[in-house]
This record gives sequence, C-alpha cells and structure tokens, in this order.
Amino acid sequence: MVKILAILVLFSTIISASEFEKNCLTCHGGDFKFHIIMNKYTLKYSSEKRIKKAIFEYLKEPSIEKTILPFEYIKRFGLKEKSTLDDKTLRDMVDIYYDKFNLQSKLY
Amino acid sequence: MLGTNLYSGEKKSIIYVLGLYLSSTILLIATFFTSYYYYEREQFVHDEKEILKKYTLELEEKLSVLNESSDERLLYPRFDNFKSAIYDIDKHLIFSTIENIDIKNFKQNFFTKDANSYLISSLTPYYLGAAYIVIQKKSKDVDILNNLIYIAIITVIITVITSFFLVNIVLRPLRENIKLLDSFIKDTTHELNTPITAILTNIETIDSSSCDEKTLRKLDRIKIASASISNLYQDLVYLLLNHKTSLQNIDLNLSQILIERIEYFTYMANMKKIGFIMNIKSDVHFTADRKNMERLIDNILSNAIKYSNKSTVINIVLKDSLLSIEDEGKGMSKEELDKVFTRYLRFDKTQGGFGIGYSIIKSIIDEHNMKIDIESKKNRGTKVTLTW
Repeated sequence: MVKILAILVLFSTIISASEFEKNCLTCHGGDFKFHIIMNKYTLKYSSEKRIKKAIFEYLKEPSIEKTILPFEYIKRFGLKEKSTLDDKTLRDMVDIYYDKFNLQSKLY
Repeated sequence: MLGTNLYSGEKKSIIYVLGLYLSSTILLIATFFTSYYYYEREQFVHDEKEILKKYTLELEEKLSVLNESSDERLLYPRFDNFKSAIYDIDKHLIFSTIENIDIKNFKQNFFTKDANSYLISSLTPYYLGAAYIVIQKKSKDVDILNNLIYIAIITVIITVITSFFLVNIVLRPLRENIKLLDSFIKDTTHELNTPITAILTNIETIDSSSCDEKTLRKLDRIKIASASISNLYQDLVYLLLNHKTSLQNIDLNLSQILIERIEYFTYMANMKKIGFIMNIKSDVHFTADRKNMERLIDNILSNAIKYSNKSTVINIVLKDSLLSIEDEGKGMSKEELDKVFTRYLRFDKTQGGFGIGYSIIKSIIDEHNMKIDIESKKNRGTKVTLTW
C-alpha cells in the first residue's frame, strides 16, 4: 500500500513538473529570475494564501495596478498577456511555482 | 479603677483617635506604595521595551539582508541574548527559535510570561513574508513587590510605635487631671469617715421617747441626711478600695437583703411621699459579695428615689434570677442613656452626687456576671432590670 502511494506521489510530481515546464518554462525559460519575482511577491503579500491569490489574479487579468514589477520595466517591456490556461490548471501552476520557489521553505 | 488609670470612655476615645491616625497613615502609605509600585512597573516595562525594540531592529536588518539572498538554503538569524519568531500576515508561524511559542493575541505588543519578556512588532515590507516579529528575552530580575512589602512592614511598625508615643504625650495632662481629681476625692473620703461615724452613732443613741414631735421630725431629717452622706461615703470607699479588697462571695438571701435596703431607704422615700410596691419572692439566693450587693441595690434605689417625682410609687420586683426597680421620675433621653455609665457625668445638676452611681452599678454587675437593662422615657420614668 505504502509502495503504491509512493509511486503515485512520484508519478504525479513528474507529471506536474512536466506540466509546469510546458505551461510556464516554454516562455520563461533560460535566465528568467523566478526567485526574484517570488521575493517581490513575498515582500508585498507575506502569506502563502495571499501570494498565490495575487499571482493568480495577475496572470488571469494583468494590469499596471496588479503588477509587482517596477513601472520602468513595464514601460519598456509592456504588460504580460492574459493567460490562456483554464482556472484549475493556472491554480495548479501557481501552486507548483510557490512550492518550488517560496522563501519560507528555504529557511533552516 | 481609680489612680492613674483611664476610664472606658477615655479609652474608647484613645482607641478612636489612634485608629483614625493609624488608618489614615496606613492609607497614605498604601497609596504612596501603590503609586510607587506602578511607577516601578511602568519603568520596568519601558526599559524592557527599549531593549526589545533594539533587538527587533537587529533582527529586521538581518531579515532584509536574507530576503535579498538567492541561496538555495537560508540560515535564519540567531542571537545569543534573545530569541525570535516570525509570523506571516495571516498569523501563521514562519520560523521560530523560541521553544513552545504560542501567540494568540497579536495586539498586545508587550507582555511577560515565565520570567521572559516578549515584544510583538509589525514589519513592513514583509521580509521573508514576516509581517510580525516576536522577540523573547529573559526578564530583568526586579522584585518590586517583595522589596515594597519589607519597607511597608517596617514603616507600619515605626508608625505604630510613634503613634503610641504621641498618644502618651497627648494624654499626659489628661491623666494628671484625673489623678488630681481622684486624689482629691480620696483625701476627702478619708476626712469624711470620722464625722459620719460620729453623727450616725450619736443619732442611734438618742432616746426618741424623750423628744417632742417637732424634734423627732428634725431628728428624722438628720437621719436621712446622714444616711445619704453615709451612702456616698460607702460609694466612694467602694470606688477607692474595690480592687484592693478581695471579694467574699457567699450564698446570700437576696430577698432579705433587698427588704433590709428598702427599709433603710424608707425614711428618704417618705420625705417625698414615695411609696414602694413590692413583689418580692422570698428566699431568692445568689452567690456574691454581700457588701457589693448592698452597694448595688442602694445605688439603684437611691437613684430611683432621687429622680422620682413627689407622691409617686416605685415598683420593685424580685424573682429567681431577675430584679427590677421602676420609678415614675424624670427619665432619661436616648443620648443620656448611652452615656449613663460614664463616671462623674451627671445629667441633672440640681440633684446632689458625684455622678458615680451607675459607674458603680456597672462595675458590680460586671464583677458578678449580671446583665443590666435600662429602659427609660423622658418624664415617664426609668426601669432598671438586672438578670443573672
């Protein structure tokens, strides 16, 4: 039973990771500073719930008010396009992003 | 009871004054100490807060540096002189070096618990997501209350001692006056003894059959007058020697003594046309000192006669454990009744006496464990009831 569960967890992680790669890293690959974005969200929103909610809402409907990037940056590169992912997938992707990069789990 | 001792009235006043002085002083001390205690506590909180704020800044600085780090693992800052914890905006614990931390009220920014001081501060921006920083340090060891209790005890003791000295100083002139009055009465009493004895023995030896009616009436008046003086003399002797002579408690036939004393006062009563209605049970026995019992009855009876209106009656009832003597005289008001046992106090200055009658009565009934009840109405009369 334990073995089956362990295999299932491992399997779903691999699937999730590949989903993240497909949905996020295709654009934000290479030198994209994921941890800097997480730092900025953490500085502004503090808790896991609020960070996830803010990222989700921004990706769903990006706006100057919602962005955490500096105004100069937006002026130069413009706002991100709306995400085409459905709500559930988008939430899953935000969860994976949080799990991978959140600062609190790095503390020891 | 005489001598330099103070009487119950004066003792009561001293106790009142002392009580008032002590309670007001203690109240003052208590107020002062309470204020001092709160001031010290406030000072303690202020000092602790200052230190904790400094520690908070230290941690905040480290957190801001850590927040910028891109390392895979982040070492939470640790300090030797304090411990800390950080919470996110939803009050979930992020990290803590404090054991068993359980913060429920984030509004209370300073508190002490188990000899530790805590300070909760808000933080913006949220370095590492920390919206609240909790700092814990060992509380400064100050035992304000214990120190205060020692000082309070010492101060109260000093106050009590001072108050006794003060009372003594204040009372000295009063005591000297009482001493003077007592010694005056004592001297006078000694001087009275010989003439009274001479008058009484000489009257007894006069052959009444050889006198005409007019002389007999005069003789009666002399007898009454000398009986009154003799009574007063006995009262004074009682007061002067009461506690210096030992009591001889024997089984007394109270009925017999009462009748004898009534007879003794008949002369005096007749002068004011006062009649006695007697309801005396025979052979009522009581163990007491004979002289004391006579003094007691004499005093109540002479008071009744003295303050009775002319042509009235005095009701005397004696039962197994009750003696009541009721007159139809001037009576006393409630205020007078309250002070009736005060020595040298006389309500009616037109009547003779020193105002010692009720004082003697009280002293005797106390000695023999009797109870006294005085009912009196102004201009209606007084009823004195003794029970035992």
